[in-house]
Amino acid sequence: MTLATLVEGKELLETVVASTVAGIGVTFVFSVAIWGVARFADLSRNERPLAAAAAALAAGLALLATVAIVVLGILVMTSK
Amino acid sequence: MSSDVILVIVVGTALAFDFTNGFHDTANVVATSISTGAARPQVAIAMASLLNFAGAFISISVAATVANDVVNADVITPTIVFAGLIGAIAWNLITWSFGLPSSSSHALIGGVVGSAIAAAGFDAVIAEGLVGKVLIPALIAPVLAFSVAGLSIGLIYRIVGKQKPGTVTRGFKYGQIVSGGLLALAHGTNDAQKTMGVITLALIANGSLAAGADPPLWVIASAAAAIAAGTYSGGWRIIKTTGTRIIKMDAAQGFSSQGAGSAVILASTHFGFPLSTTHVINGGIMGAGAAKRFSAVRWGVAGNIVFAWVLTLPAAAAIGALAYGLTRIFGTGALGPVVVTLASLSLIVAVFARRAERGAPVAASSG
Repeated sequence: MTLATLVEGKELLETVVASTVAGIGVTFVFSVAIWGVARFADLSRNERPLAAAAAALAAGLALLATVAIVVLGILVMTSK
Repeated sequence: MSSDVILVIVVGTALAFDFTNGFHDTANVVATSISTGAARPQVAIAMASLLNFAGAFISISVAATVANDVVNADVITPTIVFAGLIGAIAWNLITWSFGLPSSSSHALIGGVVGSAIAAAGFDAVIAEGLVGKVLIPALIAPVLAFSVAGLSIGLIYRIVGKQKPGTVTRGFKYGQIVSGGLLALAHGTNDAQKTMGVITLALIANGSLAAGADPPLWVIASAAAAIAAGTYSGGWRIIKTTGTRIIKMDAAQGFSSQGAGSAVILASTHFGFPLSTTHVINGGIMGAGAAKRFSAVRWGVAGNIVFAWVLTLPAAAAIGALAYGLTRIFGTGALGPVVVTLASLSLIVAVFARRAERGAPVAASSG
């Protein structure tokens, strides 16, 4: 009995990939959402409405993407 | 009749273990949210408790692994499961009294493996399951959480580093309410299932369920309720260690460590790996701290935690084996488990009384 036969390599690899993609993916989109909110506040104060609207749009989309990833993650991870 | 009495004791002991698991692991779920000020302690704990309850109903992959893939169900008796649970509870209480966030999951598996070896020799253990589904994931999980949290916090600082700190901190505090909730849900899916697995194993050993059967609904519901109640009771000593003594965290670090932890636990639950949530979240916290500044992590505290991790499997196994030996002194009937249960309860009461006498905190309300 070797270590290679004991380890469930494929499932472990999928766990590593899924964890990395989900963990970093959520962080990325949520950080973009916060960046968008912060930029929106700055640009609004500086009276640049178009740029502020673009930042708000980016924030909204990123927030939606965050929610989508979290919901999708829960559904996929628990659907076995 | 005697075997039914033992079964009732085993189920009661398993639910008591589940309670201590929730009590012990509350820190993993809520400590970062509390220490960064993202949520008030009682709110964070109540939310974690509810989500732990909900999470327990989501999946049964881990329960199946514990019931069928770690020890050989053909040689397991309810008394072996009972002794394993005593080993796990004893180790949980020992590490709790020192404020160390060790793994309840590995304590449980170690306890059952130890008592099974004491009863039936090494043939009682399924090496493939123990190594492939418990030991290897145990090594990989904290390293993975460490790496994901480290990469995440690096990414966060690159994206929002030049923005106003007030807005960024507020944003990540809101984010932590979601990431903390997700972590609580993940904790419920993985940890409550270990108790379900052990009760299922005892039911199979008693002949009440067929080998390979899934946990019945009453097992799922009672395990969910026990872990939720334990979580609500809270383990303030460990919250302090996890939340403030490893690193001094900001909200972004709390978010990245909770996000990394949730991702690792949910992915592992999907594949039925009975993971230690303690290892994962502490790995994530260390990763988030080390990525910002390597010296930000109090490596001495981290070293103590790693030491407790390494000791957990063998120590719980040794106590499980000892508990089995003590139980068998009184024969194969119900007397052994009854005597050991009473002796354990007396010991626990004595320890708590001594602690209270010294004025040390013993409950959530005193933290």
